[in-house]
Amino acid sequence: MGNSERRLRAEFHGSLVILALVAALPLVLTSVYWQGVVIVSLYYALQAMGWNLVTGYTGQMNLAPAAFAMVGAYGVGLLSHHWGISPWLGVPVGVAAAAGIGLVLGRIVLPLQGAYVALTTLSFAEILRLVIGNSYSVTRGDLGLNVPTVFDGRLPYYYLMLAVVVLVQIALYALMRSRMGLFLQAVRDDEVAAASRGVSIVWWKTLAFVVSSAICGLAGTLYAPFAGLISPELGLILNTGLVVSMVVIGGMGTMIGPIVGALLVYTAGEMLREVGDYHLIVFALLVIVFARFFRGGIWGLLQLGADRLPGRRETGAREG
Amino acid sequence: MLYLDLTVTGLMTGVFYALMAIGLTLIFGILRVVNFAHGEFYMVGAYTYTLLSTALGVPVWLTLPAAVLVGAALGWVTERTLMRPLYAGYSSWGLMKDEYAIIVTFGLSLLLINLVDKVIGPYPYRGPELIDTARVHLGPVIADGHRLMATGLGVAVIAGVFAFMRFTVAGKQVQAVAQNRLGASLAGIDPGRVSAAVFAASGGLAAFAGGLLAPIINASPDVGVFTAVKSYVVVVLGGMGSVAGAVVAGLFLGVAESFGAVFISYGYRDTFGLVILILVLMFRPQGLFGEKGRSV
Amino acid sequence: MTFLKVKGLEKRFGGRHAVDSVHFDVAAGELVGLIGPNGSGKTTLLNMLSGHLAPDGGTVTLEGREVTRLPVHRRARAGILRMFQLTRVFDRVSTLDNLLVAGRGLGLNARDALTRARALLDELSLSPVAALDAGRLSGGQRKLLEFGTCFMVPPRIALLDEPFAAVHPSMREIMGRFVRERHALGQTFLLVSHDMPVVREMCERSVCMNAGSILADGNTEDVLNDPAVIEAYLGGEAA
Repeated sequence: MGNSERRLRAEFHGSLVILALVAALPLVLTSVYWQGVVIVSLYYALQAMGWNLVTGYTGQMNLAPAAFAMVGAYGVGLLSHHWGISPWLGVPVGVAAAAGIGLVLGRIVLPLQGAYVALTTLSFAEILRLVIGNSYSVTRGDLGLNVPTVFDGRLPYYYLMLAVVVLVQIALYALMRSRMGLFLQAVRDDEVAAASRGVSIVWWKTLAFVVSSAICGLAGTLYAPFAGLISPELGLILNTGLVVSMVVIGGMGTMIGPIVGALLVYTAGEMLREVGDYHLIVFALLVIVFARFFRGGIWGLLQLGADRLPGRRETGAREG
Repeated sequence: MLYLDLTVTGLMTGVFYALMAIGLTLIFGILRVVNFAHGEFYMVGAYTYTLLSTALGVPVWLTLPAAVLVGAALGWVTERTLMRPLYAGYSSWGLMKDEYAIIVTFGLSLLLINLVDKVIGPYPYRGPELIDTARVHLGPVIADGHRLMATGLGVAVIAGVFAFMRFTVAGKQVQAVAQNRLGASLAGIDPGRVSAAVFAASGGLAAFAGGLLAPIINASPDVGVFTAVKSYVVVVLGGMGSVAGAVVAGLFLGVAESFGAVFISYGYRDTFGLVILILVLMFRPQGLFGEKGRSV
Repeated sequence: MTFLKVKGLEKRFGGRHAVDSVHFDVAAGELVGLIGPNGSGKTTLLNMLSGHLAPDGGTVTLEGREVTRLPVHRRARAGILRMFQLTRVFDRVSTLDNLLVAGRGLGLNARDALTRARALLDELSLSPVAALDAGRLSGGQRKLLEFGTCFMVPPRIALLDEPFAAVHPSMREIMGRFVRERHALGQTFLLVSHDMPVVREMCERSVCMNAGSILADGNTEDVLNDPAVIEAYLGGEAA
């Protein structure tokens, strides 16, 4: 077993423990409001997982995850609005739309590096948002679209969202355990060297982009019927900023970071909101501090702590 | 007549695009990173100008320089605290440089937006105009007095930047660092100081634009997001790192948008520049903006 | 039989010929030294052989199959593996995983790649740092690691660009022994080096380039004693 595999396994098991805790949470957490908070944080967790695949593992600075979630949501919303098609059928359509657009964007940014990828994806995200926001006849623009609910009550949404997060996490684990995991990280670290060892840059970068976009789209398709109302605001850069914060705080390029980060940032944010509305300031500060001093995020810090305990074992926590 | 009108309006908008883009492109020239908090320098400038004038009653001719100073200070602090690791120590960071710079400036952007949102509030503030004259007739074109004054100041400052880069030692040092950081440092120029100065200048210019536009685009916490996106377009169009390119591209984008809004679609006017940005990066991934890293 | 055939290969940068109509063959099992003063076109030539640079003319044929237009990763899978002058490893994955990337990239299954990687780690004395991120290795260890990734799957031909430069003598010894042993088993090499004693000792045959062209090709001793070669080196040093 390679070290990458060993790391992945620890991270994956850790994430399952956390998700199991989330599954048990409604036993004590009976507040409908707080269940809603967890549902939204799981919605962000999915986007964070998608973003982490393409940026944390593959190194393509994608600033469009929120836009792909918006595309997924509008896939569901438009089908239901125009043709009365059930959100259940809208889910695969929304995911396919996000994957298709992801394919286009992935091909566009394929030859680009670093800041150019960030600028292109940011522009692309803004175009998507502006087009949806201005096409009143089709999307009702800024008014948003009503999406019919699919369940009564909160808990079914809670467990649906959770089940999807678990399934996507398992799928990502399988992908990352395969040679794809090694290749994506190799591409991230040095494209030229990766190609020189037989890794097809075109194929793996594009694939990562498409899968990532599809996951973000999936998040949006599930969010739409839960929220009941969707608008172009889903695709705001600020929402992408939230996704980026979650992953950076949780631990970029790890299996567990996006989940920990999303749950923590979003639910802790809601808790702080009750004390005073300072949560976004706190998280923005945390992002800067983590990026500057603890590049491994919370997971990296935990690993560092674990390494210090029983003798010293190098697990390669990736602090600065 | 319509064409002339659209051209003049477009050029006037373009001056502000250029003003925003110059700072961004200078930073790229020096550090090879994009500052994703650039729009927030603009936002801080807009607020400084507006609030000092309206809440404290300071005359606009003092609040405008004050906005520049605050923006410059913010730029300088940003460079000293967050950009230093890009070149001081951290030798193994070469690989993660882009990632770090993008995340950290993105985080700074979020921080400033939310800080202002919390401290000052989410409501928009309209800045006072520099002069009261409502309408000025420039031959056949009618322009708003403030807009004309602001544009004039913008042009003057851009001219000043050019003169500085061309005729002063400090300006030449900036160019030297942009061209060859190592070489410049061997020649006795401290790249760290130049970086800090460029960040300060960049923040000052953005804040200046924010102040000038505050009567036209109300100051609000996220006002910079939109402006920043425009400056990314301009910087890419003009060639990342090129000041002259940024000015030309800024004016071009202003005119293109003003014509596009009338002849193509008003609703989609903000997408034109973004489409242009993507097309440029797709079809001229090098060329337009200078070098592309050698593959081996 | 001709194993690697380079025919009329050329590359211009601006108006200048970096490589100008170069012809040479490498036979199976040969260890050929590629020498020449700085800027003579050695690395450009290597880049065209490995696919990192598209030639402006000419062909590269490996075992009768033309590979001139194959992209880098396909050429690697065809068995042309190269080591870069400036070390390239994957900094944020472990030493072991660096080797696994090469193994899997070149088509091994997971188990074979792991077996092979463990053996190479031992052979190159990298086992103690197997779990360390490659970014934390010393310069010499990184070089050894990159060297190792060329041999996860025995290459048809290994292109080594200054493998011994700026490396601690003990690591140089490890690499040198490795090259000699593989060569004895029939491995084909093209070795770019500035280190004349090394070339003299390891390579029976050498090709000397100057100003983009081949100046001399033949028995290493003869090439090194060729007045034109000596002139090129002295000229290069004088300039």
